[in-house]
Amino acid sequence: MAQVFDRSSNALARFSLVLTGVIVIALGVTLDQLQRSPWVTRQGQRPDQPVPFSHKHHVQGLGLQCQYCHTQVEHAAYAGIPPTKTCMNCHAQIWTNADLLEPVRQSWATGASIQWIRVHDLPDYVYFNHEIHVNKGIGCASCHGRVDEMPLMYQQNTLQMEWCLNCHRNPAANLRPTSEIYNMAWAGPSTDKPVWCTSNGAATGSGPTAQNVSCTTTNPTGKGPEVAMMQMAAEANGPTASDVPPLGIKMPASYEKFTNQMDLGRYLTAQYHIRNPQQLSSCETCHR
Amino acid sequence: MMKTGLKTTGMGTDETMADIKAPAQPVVVTQIAPAKMTLAEVQAKLDGKTGRRFWKNLDELADTPAFQELMAEEFPRQSTEWVDAVSRRGFLKVMGASLALAGLAGCTKQPDEAIFPYVKQPEDLVLGKSMYFATAHPFPTGAIPVLVKSDSFRPIKVDGNPEHPMSKGKSDAFTQATLLSLYDPDRSQRVMHRGETSGWGDFQEAFVGAAKKTNGGQGIYFLSETITSPTLAAQWKQVQAAYPSAKLIQWEPVNQDSSRAASKAAFGSYTDAQYKLEEADVILSLDADFLSGIAHPGFLPLAAGYAERHRYEEDKPMNRMYVVESMPTVTGFKAEHRLALKPSEIAGFANGLVNGTAPQGLSGEAQKFFSVLSADLKASGGKCVVIPGEQAPASVHAAAYALNSSLGAVGKTVIYTETVNPIPSEQVADLKSLVADMNSGKVQWLVILGVNPIYTAPADLYFQDAFAKVPVTVHLGSYVDETGVIANWHINKTHYLESWSDARAYDGTITIIQPMIAPLYNGKSAHDVFQTLLPNAQLSAYDVVLANAKTYIRSSAGGDFAASWRKALHDGWVEGTAFPAKAAGAGKSAVASFPIPTMTSSGLEVSFRPDPSLYDGRYANIGWLQELPKQVTNLSWDNAAIMSIDTMAALKLDQSDPVKLSFDGRECIAPALMAAGHPDGVITVHLGFGRGVQAGRVAQGVGFDAYQIRRSDAPLFVAGVTAVKVPGTYDLCVTKVYNIEHRGAFAQHDLEKPQFDTEGVYSLAGHEAEERSIIRYATVAEAKKNPDFAHEGGASGTLIGKVGYSPQGEKVPHDNSFFPNQWKYDETDPATLKVQNAWGMAIDLNSCIGCNACIVSCYAENNIPVVGREQVKVGRNMQWLRIDTYFEGDLHAPKAHFQPMACQHCENAGCEQVCPVGATVHTPEGINTMVYNRCVGTRYCSNNCPYKVRRFNFLLYSDYDTESLKFMRNPDVSVRSRGVMEKCSYCVQRIEAVKIEADKENREIRDGEIVTACQQACPTSAITFGNINDKASKVAKAKAVERDYQVLADLNYRPRTTYTAGVINPNPELA
Repeated sequence: MAQVFDRSSNALARFSLVLTGVIVIALGVTLDQLQRSPWVTRQGQRPDQPVPFSHKHHVQGLGLQCQYCHTQVEHAAYAGIPPTKTCMNCHAQIWTNADLLEPVRQSWATGASIQWIRVHDLPDYVYFNHEIHVNKGIGCASCHGRVDEMPLMYQQNTLQMEWCLNCHRNPAANLRPTSEIYNMAWAGPSTDKPVWCTSNGAATGSGPTAQNVSCTTTNPTGKGPEVAMMQMAAEANGPTASDVPPLGIKMPASYEKFTNQMDLGRYLTAQYHIRNPQQLSSCETCHR
Repeated sequence: MMKTGLKTTGMGTDETMADIKAPAQPVVVTQIAPAKMTLAEVQAKLDGKTGRRFWKNLDELADTPAFQELMAEEFPRQSTEWVDAVSRRGFLKVMGASLALAGLAGCTKQPDEAIFPYVKQPEDLVLGKSMYFATAHPFPTGAIPVLVKSDSFRPIKVDGNPEHPMSKGKSDAFTQATLLSLYDPDRSQRVMHRGETSGWGDFQEAFVGAAKKTNGGQGIYFLSETITSPTLAAQWKQVQAAYPSAKLIQWEPVNQDSSRAASKAAFGSYTDAQYKLEEADVILSLDADFLSGIAHPGFLPLAAGYAERHRYEEDKPMNRMYVVESMPTVTGFKAEHRLALKPSEIAGFANGLVNGTAPQGLSGEAQKFFSVLSADLKASGGKCVVIPGEQAPASVHAAAYALNSSLGAVGKTVIYTETVNPIPSEQVADLKSLVADMNSGKVQWLVILGVNPIYTAPADLYFQDAFAKVPVTVHLGSYVDETGVIANWHINKTHYLESWSDARAYDGTITIIQPMIAPLYNGKSAHDVFQTLLPNAQLSAYDVVLANAKTYIRSSAGGDFAASWRKALHDGWVEGTAFPAKAAGAGKSAVASFPIPTMTSSGLEVSFRPDPSLYDGRYANIGWLQELPKQVTNLSWDNAAIMSIDTMAALKLDQSDPVKLSFDGRECIAPALMAAGHPDGVITVHLGFGRGVQAGRVAQGVGFDAYQIRRSDAPLFVAGVTAVKVPGTYDLCVTKVYNIEHRGAFAQHDLEKPQFDTEGVYSLAGHEAEERSIIRYATVAEAKKNPDFAHEGGASGTLIGKVGYSPQGEKVPHDNSFFPNQWKYDETDPATLKVQNAWGMAIDLNSCIGCNACIVSCYAENNIPVVGREQVKVGRNMQWLRIDTYFEGDLHAPKAHFQPMACQHCENAGCEQVCPVGATVHTPEGINTMVYNRCVGTRYCSNNCPYKVRRFNFLLYSDYDTESLKFMRNPDVSVRSRGVMEKCSYCVQRIEAVKIEADKENREIRDGEIVTACQQACPTSAITFGNINDKASKVAKAKAVERDYQVLADLNYRPRTTYTAGVINPNPELA
C-alpha cells in the first residue's frame, strides 16, 4: 500500500505542534492583556454625562478647590458628589440660560437628582476609604490624575488590585505633605525643586497626623532660623488636614531638605505613622 | 414532610404561595427525618444516671447507626441537594442566568452605575458616616430604649441605648429583629375598605360621621394592644370626654392578668413589681423565665443584675438561684437548683413556702428541695427575691407578694410601683365582655388597634362569629392578617421606627419614640385613629406627643421647654419619670383570695407559653426569628408538643410523631418533641405558629396553631387533655444535630473501644464536652480549693494523660513548631515603638444565659441571609454564631451549659492551610479573614475546622431582588453570593472603621472602642473584645484569669476566642 503521508508531512506535523503551542500562549497573553486593557478597566473612557462638566474649566480655569464640591473627602469613605445646590450657587447667577446646564436647572426645579455615570467604579467587595488616604498624605492626583487638565472626566488609572498594591506595598513612592494634597501639579521633590520639611515636635504622638509635619518649597534656610506654626491640639474624632487653624505661636524649626521622592516618602512614612506594608496589603484592609 | 394535615413548606416565594393556595401535589420532603431514637434504648442507658455526663441531644445518646452515618458527613445529607420542587425551579432559573454569564465572566465589564446626588444635601449628613438616634421599641411588658444606627437616614441596626438608666446599651433578640420587621416586604401597604384600596381620608370621614351620629359614642369599641404610651392614654381620655360611652378594651393573648389580679387583691390597685437582682443573694423564680427575653418584664435589668452577682470574683459572694418551673427554660438551666413541677403544682408549692409546710404529693427529692429552699431564703436575711412568672396563675403572684414581704425583701430587692401600662386592666375578662357585647349587637364599630383577635382569641369565645355580627369593623395592623382580611376597613399601621409616640420602660422611664424614616407605606398609628375622633383631627402624632410631653418633661431652669424636649429626644429618655416605690409597701396578704388550682390526675396538662422566638405570633414573619434556634430545644421554624421522655413513652410516641391534642371538643395536631427536664404528665405548647397565607410568606405554613385549644377560662394551662398519636411523621426542624461532626480518629477512638466509658453511656458531643473539656466548670467550693481547676482537671471529671489527647488544657508549646515565627503578634512598629494590635475575644460562660440576642444582632450587622426551613433541616443555616447547649447528667433533671460558638480566629488555623486559593487568610493582627471574591467554594476549610463554625452558601440565599430589604443592609459588609464560604469576622468592618479614626488622629485604639455586634447586644456583658497585646485591656485581663481556657486546645490551633470556665454556687445540702 502506498504511503498516505508524504515525507513532507513530517514538517507539517511538527509545525502544527509548534503552532498549537503558539496559539495557546497567544490566547493566554491575549486574555491577560484583555483583562488589563482599557476595554475592561475603562481607563481613559469618557462616558456620556448628562452635563459635560469640565473639571479643567472649574479647577484650572476658575481655581475652585476640590473640597468646594467634594466636601466630605477628609471625613468619610466617599468624597461626595456635590448636590445640585452646589451647582446652583453660581449658576443661579451666571450662565443661567446655557443649554448645557438645562439638566441642572431641571434637577433644581423638580427636585430629582442629576444622574451622573460613575467614572471611578470599584467592585462592590472593595471598601475604599478616601478620608484615610487624604489624611495620610496621598494627593488627589496620585489616583485621579491631573483632573485639572481633564475637560471631561475619565479614569486615569486601572484601579485594579495590582495597581492598589503597588502603592500599599511601597507607600513612600506616593506620599506627599498634607499641605500639598489638593495641589494637582505637585511633582515631588527633585534636585531642581527641593522640598524642606520639619517635624512639629509638639504634635507628634498625638493630634491629627496631618499636622505632624510642615513642608515648604521655598528655601527657609536662606532667611536665617525659620519658624513653623504650632498647631492646635487635636480633639477626639475632630479635625482633619485643613480644619485646624494654626495657633499662631511661632516656633524655631530645623528643616530637612529633600531632593527626591523616595527620601521624602520615607521621612513622611515615619512622621505620618503609615502602617507597614504587611498591614497595608493585608486582605481585610480593603475586603470585608 | 408528614402525611397528615400539617404543611411544611420552605421559604415563601410566589411559587410556594401558589402551591398553598391550590391543593397541588404536596411538596414531598422525605429521607431527612432525624435519626430515630429508640426510647427504650435511651432510657435503659440513661435512667437515673447522674454525675457528670454531657450530651447534646437524644440521637447521640441513643447512638443509632443512622446517627453515626450522619456524623460522617460534613454538612449532613448534602446529597439531598434539592429538597423541594420549588427550589429546583428556582435553581433552573438561576442557572439559566449564570450559564449565560459564565463564559464571559472573566472579561465582562461592570455595568454602568449611576450616581444620584442630593439636590439639597442635609447639612449634617456625611455620607458613609452613620448617625445614631435614640428611640424605643414599644413592647407590652415595657418599652426597650434603643439607639438606632442610621445610614443616610435608613435605619440599619437597632441596639440598646447606652445612656438609658435601665437598658445601659443592652438589647434582646426581639428588639434586634424589629429592624427586619420594618423592611418586611409583606407589610401591609395601603388602606383597604371591603377589599378595595381606599384612603385614610375616606376612613376618617366614615368614622367621624358614624361617631357623631351615635349617642355619646355608644357602640364604638376599641380593641387595642397593651398600651404603654402615656400620650395614647391621654388621647383616650380625651376621646372618652368627647364620647363618654365609647369603650376601650386592651387585649393580648400573652398578658399580665395574673399579676394584675393578684396585685389588685394585695395592694388594692394594679401594681408592677421591680426586682433588684444585684442586691439579691438568693433568687427564687416561680415559673418566671426572666432570662429568656423581654417576654418577662424587666429582662434587661434582671439579666444584668443576675449576671453581675453570678460572676465569680474573689471576695464577692455569688448569688444562688432556685427555679421551680414547668417547661425547661434558660432560666431554669442557669439556676443552681431546678425543680420541674406541673404548672398546676407550682401554686401549691408557692403556698407551701408561705405557710412553711411542704405541699402534699411532692416526691422525696422535691421535699428536700422545698425544705432547703425555705431555709436558704430565710437565712438570706431579706437579701433574697421571689419572682413569679407572668404565665403563672394569680395565686403564685399572691404567694410571691406574701413571701417577699415575710422574708423582708420588700424595699431591699423588691419595690412595688404603679404599672407601666397607664390604663391597666384584666384583659381576658374584658375580652369576654366585649364578645358578649358583640353577640348582643351592642357593638356598632369595632376598631382594632394592632391586635389580631381572629387568630389569637381563645377558641371558646368564637370571636370570629361575634366579629361577623358587628356592622363595621376596622383593623389597624402591620399585616393584612387573619383579622385584617375580614375586617371592613384595614389600615396599614406604621412601624415604631417610622412614627412618633412615647412609651414607658420597665422602670417607668418615658422615652419619646421618634421616627427614623418617613413611613414607607404612609401608615397610620393608633394616635392618628384616636385623634380622628377629636376636634382637631388633623393634628399629627408628632403634635399630639409634643403637646402631651409638656405634662411629663420638666422644663429646664430657664423654663425653656424646647430645650428639654430636644434633650429628651437626644438622650432617649426623660429625666425624672422613673417610678418611685409605692407607699403601699408590702401590701396585705392576698394568698387566701386565690384558690390553689386543684391537681387533676386525669388526663394531661397542657401549658401555653409565648414562643421564645415569635412571642405570641407577632414576629412570625421575621425570618431572623423564625430561623433562630429556640432556647433549650434548638427548634427552628417549628413549634412542638414538648414533653418529657416518660410522658412520651406513656403516650407511646417517638420524637417527631404527630400527636393529636384534644380538649373540650377542640383539637390540634402537633409533632412531639422531648425536652430533657420537662415534668411528666405535662405538654408545653408554644403559641404563634400555624399561620395561613395572610400572615406573610415567612410565617405561613410552619408549625401548628396552639390557640385552637386555648380557652378563656384557662389561658395559662389546662388539665384533662387527651393526647393520641396519629399516623405519619412530622419532620421537626431541630438544628442541634448538624453541628456535631466527627473530628478524626482520636475523637472516635474512645467511642469504638470504650476504655473509660465502660457503662456505655456516651455520646460524641458529650464525650468531647467531657473528655476533651469543651465545657469546664466547678462549684464555688471546688474553685476556691483549686483556682486553676479549668486546667488541672479533676473538677469537671476530666481525664489527664489519656491516649490521643494532650493533657487537657495544657498548651502545646508553640516553640516546638516547625514554623515558630510563622506569625508573630508582638512586633513593634519601628516608627512609634508601639506593639501591634492583636484582636481577641473572651466569653464568660458564667454570664452567658443563652438568650440569643447576640445571634440576631449578628444577623443585622453582617447581612446574614435567611435560608428557610428546608435548608435548615439539611444543616445549612447561616448564623455565624450559635449557642451550643450541653446537657449534663440525668435525662429527667439535667444541668445545662450554654456556650456561644463562633469562629475562634485560630492563630494556627486549619482552614487557612487547606484553602487552595488563599480565600481565608491571616491578617497581621491575627484575624482569620475571609476574602469572598477569592472563594471558589471547595469547602475544604469547613472540613478542616474543628469548631464547625464556617457557613457555606449552597444556594443563592441572599436576597438581591427585594427592594425594601436593600435598605436594611449594612453597607460596610459584602452581601455574599452563592458558592461562597463565610463565617464570623470579629466584625472586621467595625475594627477597620475604628482603626481609620485612630490613625487619622494619630493615636492608639482605645480599649473598648471596638465593640463587636454580639458584644454590643449581650444583656449580661458575657463577651469581651479587644487588643490582647495591651495588658491593661479588659480582654487581656479576662484572658489572664486562671479559669480562662481554649476549646480543643490540644489541637494547637491556638484560638483567639477563649472561654472563662463557669463557677456555680450550689447549696451543699442539695448537692
